[in-house]
Amino acid sequence: MTTLRYVLRDTWRLIVHHWVLGLLTLITAGVMLWILGVTTLLSLNLENLLSRLESELAVQAYLVKDNTLDVEAIARKIQSLEYVYSIKTFSPADSLAKLQQKMGSQSRALEMLGDNPIPWNFEIHVNSAQDVEPLVDALKAMPEVDDVVYAGLVVKRISALSRISSRAALVMFILAVIITALVVYNTIHISLYSRREEIGIMYLVGATRAYIATPFVLEGTLLAMFGAVIAGAGIIGAYFPGIELIRENLPLLTNIIITDRAVIWRFCGLLAGFGATLGWVCSYLVVARFINSITRPE
Amino acid sequence: MNIQFSGVSKVFEPDIAALVDISLRVEQGEFVYVIGQTGSGKSTLLRLITRELLPSRGVVAVGGYDLMRMRKADIPYYRRDVGLVAQDFKLIPTLTVYENIAFVMEAMSVPKRLVSERAKDVINQVGLWRRRSMRPAQLSGGEQQRVAIARALANSPSLFIADEPTGNLDFHTAAEIMKILFAINAAGVTVVMSTHNQGIVNASRQRVIELDSGRLVRDEKGGLYSE
Repeated sequence: MTTLRYVLRDTWRLIVHHWVLGLLTLITAGVMLWILGVTTLLSLNLENLLSRLESELAVQAYLVKDNTLDVEAIARKIQSLEYVYSIKTFSPADSLAKLQQKMGSQSRALEMLGDNPIPWNFEIHVNSAQDVEPLVDALKAMPEVDDVVYAGLVVKRISALSRISSRAALVMFILAVIITALVVYNTIHISLYSRREEIGIMYLVGATRAYIATPFVLEGTLLAMFGAVIAGAGIIGAYFPGIELIRENLPLLTNIIITDRAVIWRFCGLLAGFGATLGWVCSYLVVARFINSITRPE
Repeated sequence: MNIQFSGVSKVFEPDIAALVDISLRVEQGEFVYVIGQTGSGKSTLLRLITRELLPSRGVVAVGGYDLMRMRKADIPYYRRDVGLVAQDFKLIPTLTVYENIAFVMEAMSVPKRLVSERAKDVINQVGLWRRRSMRPAQLSGGEQQRVAIARALANSPSLFIADEPTGNLDFHTAAEIMKILFAINAAGVTVVMSTHNQGIVNASRQRVIELDSGRLVRDEKGGLYSE
């Protein structure tokens, strides 16, 4: 307890002593973590939208006209493909009824066709848009399948968008982490450098390395954590009014974007934890390296 | 705490021999002067004892421990038992006299009340209580030296190392510093002090170790500065 009190006092002294540098670090970490948070939220919302669209993507597979086919066995075979999320079987009669319902008053035109031309068919849902193409290839390779119908262009675009958004989010995440880490690393390094003589003296008169290092590590951890708290406040301040704006102008989107306040609060809590961890790791690395170098006997 | 040097040499890069094959033993409670010209190896010898330096050859053992083999984690605990007064005082400029002395005890997790009592004791011992709130830059050289002594005393060490503690001090202040060091030694603490001050060495007739170009040229009990 006594040591903790001394360490906290020394941490406070460090922060006060380098307050300008600390403030700059706080602002930079805050801005970078805000960008990181916003990018992650946008990415999560986009992911939400894409998964909604993906869940509505369906591949229609029509079987060859052959009364001897074991439709249930074929359905099981398709279900066992790794890309398939769900499969629904439609008989020719069901399909015709569906078509008639869709055509409404023009359904009488179907009577001109004579016998029902629609074969047994399946409506297949996939796990993700990227699974559509390989599924179609697999279906086309099956001798029982006569034709496969799917929204090819839409699938390709959704799939590409999904890939781009994931990559962009990853790049932004890495950039924000690197910049925040570098800023914290440099701040603590400057803090250590300006007190190198003092650190040498402390070690010479019997202070342990942990006792010397802890205030510096805490300084870095606190700066990054408060930066993340500022970022979180910025996100909450911008996101909730943003939701209200969308609710008023684009009500359809409110079902797709994340509107649960508890989720956003938890996200900001995670961001603060992430900031603290990042600050701790960076400070620990720089402090360990620095103290090692100046306490090594010649 | 006794000190044992066995065949110790120290060579600095690229090829500067600071100490050459030194063997000596200092017993617990002794008072030893280390004398010699500038560059003779006095500070190197003291820095080997504080483990700021490691020998290039030979063994330095203090209190029975081989300093070369000491684990990194044990070094702070060893140093808490060694009071050090450096030539350049090594005071922390941003801290007051009181804080400079208190922090060596705080590093040992001594409770605040005890820190305060002990700091008051040692500051009084060196006669600086009225200067306790001043920073090192506001003190004279002699006062800074006394702060360094007070700090070295704070942890009640068994070994006291003083590197030219009276250098650049006037006769009167130097005499005061010596009075403090003799009092420390009288309490059973081993004192090893390097000096250029002929008057001090000759006045007290303690053991004298003389170095010349890194070699031990004289080790005499009750010796004078010059033979």
